[in-house]
Amino acid sequence: MSGAPDDSLMSRFDKHGLRRFRARDAIGAVALAALLLVLFEGPSIRRTGERMDPGIERDVVLAIGRPAGWLGDRLPLADAADSATAWLSPDDDLPEDAGFTTTAQAVGSRLPPVTAEAFDPTAIGARAAPKLRLRTLLVTGDSMSTPLDTHLGRLLADEGVRVIREPHLGTGISKSFVIDWGELSTRQLRDDRPDAVVVFIGANEGYPMAGADGREVECCGADWAAIYANRVRKMANTYRRGGEARVYWVTLPTPRDADRQPIARVVNAAIEVAAQPWRAHVRVIDTVPTFTPNGYRDAMTIDGTETIVRNPDGKHLNDAGAELLAGIVLEAIERDFTF
Amino acid sequence: MLFPTVEFAVFFPVVLTVSWALMSRPSLWKPFIVAASYAFYASADWKYCLLLAGVTAGNQAAAKLIHRTVSERRRRWIVAAAVALDLGVLGVFKYYGFFVESLQEALDDLGLGMPLPLLTIALPVGISFFTFQAISYVVDVKRREIEPSSSLDFAVYLSFFPHLVAGPIVRAREFLPQLAEPRDPTRVAVGSGLALIGLGLVKKVVIGDALARSVVDPVFAVPESYSAPDVLLAAYAYTAQIYCDFSGYTDMAIGLALLLGYVFPQNFRSPYRATGFRDFWRRWHMTLSRFLRDFLYIPLGGSRGGRLLTYRNLMITMVLGGLWHGAAWTFVLWGAFHGLGLVAEHALGGRLRVPGWLRWLTIFHLIVFGWILFRSESLDVAGSFLAQLAEPGPATLWSAPVVLAIVVVIGLQLLPPARVEAAQVRIERLRPAVLATGFAVLVAIAGATVSSEGVAPFIYFRF
Repeated sequence: MSGAPDDSLMSRFDKHGLRRFRARDAIGAVALAALLLVLFEGPSIRRTGERMDPGIERDVVLAIGRPAGWLGDRLPLADAADSATAWLSPDDDLPEDAGFTTTAQAVGSRLPPVTAEAFDPTAIGARAAPKLRLRTLLVTGDSMSTPLDTHLGRLLADEGVRVIREPHLGTGISKSFVIDWGELSTRQLRDDRPDAVVVFIGANEGYPMAGADGREVECCGADWAAIYANRVRKMANTYRRGGEARVYWVTLPTPRDADRQPIARVVNAAIEVAAQPWRAHVRVIDTVPTFTPNGYRDAMTIDGTETIVRNPDGKHLNDAGAELLAGIVLEAIERDFTF
Repeated sequence: MLFPTVEFAVFFPVVLTVSWALMSRPSLWKPFIVAASYAFYASADWKYCLLLAGVTAGNQAAAKLIHRTVSERRRRWIVAAAVALDLGVLGVFKYYGFFVESLQEALDDLGLGMPLPLLTIALPVGISFFTFQAISYVVDVKRREIEPSSSLDFAVYLSFFPHLVAGPIVRAREFLPQLAEPRDPTRVAVGSGLALIGLGLVKKVVIGDALARSVVDPVFAVPESYSAPDVLLAAYAYTAQIYCDFSGYTDMAIGLALLLGYVFPQNFRSPYRATGFRDFWRRWHMTLSRFLRDFLYIPLGGSRGGRLLTYRNLMITMVLGGLWHGAAWTFVLWGAFHGLGLVAEHALGGRLRVPGWLRWLTIFHLIVFGWILFRSESLDVAGSFLAQLAEPGPATLWSAPVVLAIVVVIGLQLLPPARVEAAQVRIERLRPAVLATGFAVLVAIAGATVSSEGVAPFIYFRF
């Protein structure tokens, strides 16, 4: 390293005479590029704004995105750009008819019957169902599901189990304007046919959702909880494949942020309610007693050592926390499966 | 706010226009660009702005004090205090958890386990970069290479948004002279700026993120689930991805600065062309290499103290360089591996006669091996990854686009540099309207490749 020449090359743009334009060329070029993007990508800009979290950045993007989208809707350019580039999209095609908005959420007028599936046999002292063979495990959710997914993958790597990790960061069950988990869960089932599904989601919940009558319901009252529970129930029903598969739905450990605590509470309550019709197939893994029995905490004792289990954001589990949770989830899986 | 986002696409044209409108009046331009940069930084978390302001104020006070002090001994003490402050900030925010946990494990192993204060501390974006720039400023003032600037100029230097969060590490003596006079509005490298931003966008979003999604992330998460062909592919794919991700970011940073009238140092020069470790570090993250050379290796004694001391200095420099990348043993090992490479090269001193192609091939694969350590979440994962390289099995992740992307990214770096540079200059000399149209097409293509979850953060953001 000693005696190395100064590699900053600060004069490299002068050497080739590249500083030959004027500042107004820079502004003009950027303005032209922006205009072309508004004309060809207007609806995409609007869609991006609509998917952003509330705040000043969203307001600013929508202030441009809405008129740009309006213009794009009226000109054929955006459609042309869309068709030309659609093949590049990494997103999966989701079955639109399986979405939350198109699925009837209204409760029927007749009294729904309670079936045997509503009972976990071991919880009532009955004989446990025979263990199934675990071939494919899907671990999915939002950012909460990472790095739980990698820990489960490693724990099962030598067991001949195919572990599919499918985190969808920044999404939420109440955030269906980003991804509709009703559609996504149907696609996952269609593509992967998992024997078991671990779901850990809820870092981004709290968005208003449309009720059965179409009106928006704000978080976090009983009405919101009911809509959320219906969505969870629909997903759980998809994943359980009529009883052929098992679902392990992980509740949220209490977050540090006081504003997010009511959201976590209502999400967890909704999960419990949603799982009720199929307790034989849908296991709720409650993280609160393990990680936050007396409210939020950063650290806890693991194997006699005080260990930090949460990320600095006070929301997610860190690597050590996820490793601990993976062990708990695996224990639950082992009660239902052999591998 | 990431560069390749709609938010930034709204932010930048406004800043660009106002910046040039105010350029001839530095008393207005400088507060404006500081405000814009802080707004950019606050989009990550406004609390980080307080840290940035604190580092700015502390280092500026130290620089002024150094400049006023005649006694060389006292100047040394002041600079030591300022550097300690910067490294202390870095230590608390970046390394506290790592050191406490490592110490606790070591004490437990010795049977001396005792509870140490555990804290979860968020890592402020860009802290590694702006603390290093602050160090370069006070040290250069102490060495009398530059005079302390005005507080406002120093605030612009440290917070200037194109380099704030992930470099390049711009030395004070490279940037402050550019602030002395308003930028000339008739001498702007518009073509280079647009071309670099477009190129960076394609590297990061179209190639880097796609490789990460389809190969790198799944394999490095659970290497045990994949056999040799896929693991090998992941190693090459990460080699291409990290180059595309980091050099793509740098291209965008340099391009944005150019449109605003400022020049940043070069940070990459076809690094996978390297035929030695020394050569590699003159091509990869060049601004960090310079920093480590000038502020660590040479002050340690460089190669002035004989063979063994040179080796010691190389190892210390590279291990600390590795640790700079992140608070994990994998980074320490990666740095040590490169240190050993440099030592070996130094020891052999050109005595080993091998054909050029074989030398390149060997060095390239040693660098790929280093990236496996760098990318792995832990030493266990690195061990599993390497073990799987001996595990025969099917190639499930190989596809034509992935292989093509890797070959193109690495292959382009092997082309004769003069020819590549000539082609680049031809593009950068095109008329701005033509480049703007091409740029819009590239943005549309890049946008189409982004998943509904948005653009993945840059790898170097967490450093």
